[in-house]
Amino acid sequence: MAEVRLELIEKIEGEAQVRYHYEKDHIDFAEILFLTGRGIERILEGRDPWDALAINPRVCGICGHAHLIATVRALEDCYDDLQVSAKAKQIRELTLAFEVLQNHFKWFYLTILPLLELKAPMERVLEPSRLLGEMIALLAGQYPHNSYAIPGGISGEITPVELLGVRERHQRIRKHFQESVIHVDLEQFVRCDRIETMLEREGDLPRAMQRILDWGWERLGRSHDRFIVFGSNDLFEAGKSIGTRLRRHLDLRYLQESPIQGSRARRVLYRGRSYETGPLARAMLLKTPLTREAHRRYGDSLFSRILARVCEIPRLLRYTESLIGSIDLSEPAWVDPGPLPVEAEGVGIVEAARGSLIHQVRVGEGKIQKYRIVTPTQWNLGNGSREDPGVAQAALIGLRRGDPAELVFKSFDVCSVCTTK
Amino acid sequence: MRLLWLSALACNGNAHSLLNYPGFQEWQEDFHWLYHPLLPSRYTFPEIEKGIEGVEVLIVDGTLEEGLIKNRLPYRELLLRYGDQAERIVTVGTCATFGGIFAQGGGGRSGLHFEGDEHLKGYERFWEKTVSLPGCPVQPEVLAGTLSIIRRRDPLPLDTLHRPKYFYAYTIHDGCTRNEYFEYKIDEHHFGTLEGCMFYDHGCQGTFTHGSCNKILWNGVNSKTRAGTPCLGCTEPDFPREGLWRTPKHMGIPARMPLGVPRRAYLGLAGIAKAFRIERFTRPLMEDEGG
Ligand code: SF4
Ligand code: SF4
Repeated sequence: MAEVRLELIEKIEGEAQVRYHYEKDHIDFAEILFLTGRGIERILEGRDPWDALAINPRVCGICGHAHLIATVRALEDCYDDLQVSAKAKQIRELTLAFEVLQNHFKWFYLTILPLLELKAPMERVLEPSRLLGEMIALLAGQYPHNSYAIPGGISGEITPVELLGVRERHQRIRKHFQESVIHVDLEQFVRCDRIETMLEREGDLPRAMQRILDWGWERLGRSHDRFIVFGSNDLFEAGKSIGTRLRRHLDLRYLQESPIQGSRARRVLYRGRSYETGPLARAMLLKTPLTREAHRRYGDSLFSRILARVCEIPRLLRYTESLIGSIDLSEPAWVDPGPLPVEAEGVGIVEAARGSLIHQVRVGEGKIQKYRIVTPTQWNLGNGSREDPGVAQAALIGLRRGDPAELVFKSFDVCSVCTTK
Repeated sequence: MRLLWLSALACNGNAHSLLNYPGFQEWQEDFHWLYHPLLPSRYTFPEIEKGIEGVEVLIVDGTLEEGLIKNRLPYRELLLRYGDQAERIVTVGTCATFGGIFAQGGGGRSGLHFEGDEHLKGYERFWEKTVSLPGCPVQPEVLAGTLSIIRRRDPLPLDTLHRPKYFYAYTIHDGCTRNEYFEYKIDEHHFGTLEGCMFYDHGCQGTFTHGSCNKILWNGVNSKTRAGTPCLGCTEPDFPREGLWRTPKHMGIPARMPLGVPRRAYLGLAGIAKAFRIERFTRPLMEDEGG
């Protein structure tokens, strides 16, 4: 017996509706609908290109800093030959990584644990969130919504005093991770490749993963097993992988966006196919040991997705620690790039908390002529058809009544505001 | 005190900003979320649509849009229902107060009582009980502090736009570490430095923008202007104006004067200050006085 049920998914930086089509006892099809949109890309058109540095962080209250960094990269890409000091680049990488870290903590504690009916003291999410906000603010002025990354570097100057503040808080977060998330040495954890070893430890991560196993959910939420990562830096590698087969080369010309009926979101495809982006995709490209093991056992399921995301935390902590250590404060914070070319095009790519974020700008007569933003959630949550479902759709299809559809959905960490912009 | 947070077209930045309040845990003991867009709340959104009782303060977040439907009911219907029920209404952020950035993205968009500086009449019956907390986003201390004052029923003096004086009587310029460069009219500023003031060339609106950014400090540690970014004027009705990184000039002098300062007074003072050419302000801060 066919039945259609409309459900509201809340607290995903806004809301989405899912229209579940049940066939007997399982989900036969699901449509994901985003009802509201703000039109940021339109707001940008006709404005001074630098205004994008102020406006774009406001795309999103949780990952707005990634939008700032994508914007500055797109604007810098408009120049032929632009100098940015290593120091400015490292500081930008730092604030970006701090936001990713903060988002990981917020998602794990505020979204995932409650869905597994696990409790943790509120301070476990508040403390790292607050500290990471302070760390960004020390370098960038404030969080959320600063605009300190500008063509040529950063707007202000950093002294050892700010770096000291960052270092102390970094240590605190490292401790917090080891005390609350998983009781293990960071270095050891990054090399760990056995699920059982992880489960034997104390901490909220093993508790969560054990709960998923106890409830028999570890294979739920599998999708196309296709992954894509556009951004690369010293931590992440760009490329796509189908299952475990990798291809490094990507070309933005193969990116297509298309409208979705009844929704304010647009779907995005690479060479006509949908791909998952985000921490699981990044881990698949890097072949990180623990996630690869999870994927070998359970596929691209919610188990692998959740584990991959939390496992990014220690990697990001190590990465940011080495960045802090390598900053040479005697370098300039900003090198005057000269005026932005009056006619130009630029692309800015960033690995944000939820995956690859792409900004594309076209400047004409010194103004923004066109601005296009492709967000991670568009990859993961864009709707397709029954024959060719999107990533989250494919993960939902086949679930039975009583299966945790909301957890499957939220394992992608949906960001509604980013999806509709 | 029971709070209902209703978001319209928002980025959720105000909700996230509140989590950074250093005393959040203790503060929250005095408040109950009937609904909050992130935090555990008593009701689900569909229950809010069905109808609940007991709202004491209604928090409105995000730009309003004609005909906006979040799930099943028009947002306006929810606003009217809970606006009547609540003792006080707080518009949180510039979007809900004046329309903000997103008001520029489509027709029929505005804040609760304002479209820019134009006072609208659509929710006039709520005007008396509304407190405006603009900011993009609002500082957590401003939101948490205002709610605590309301809860204690202490007096809350407001300006003409209904912004609490305790937080918005100051300008952003108050407390900026670049103040001396402003006072002595050192009009050279380069990004990437500790020195200089962004008033003259780089669009800083700190001298005529109301708020506590350089008094309370963001995340307790810093501010835009300290970090070399101009104040974008985000607490004011005309945010975001065009060309945020440039100072519009009138005969070579910034077109917009510091709050309440007549142009003649400014020019007089500037002339005197400039005449002195104080050497200290031409040297990098970290350089030796002898060097
Ligand atoms: S930078 Fe702005 S806030 Fe700071 S002193 Fe200059 S005008 Fe005032
Ligand atoms: S410094 Fe200006 S733009 Fe920045 S938050 Fe404060 S009022 Fe808003």
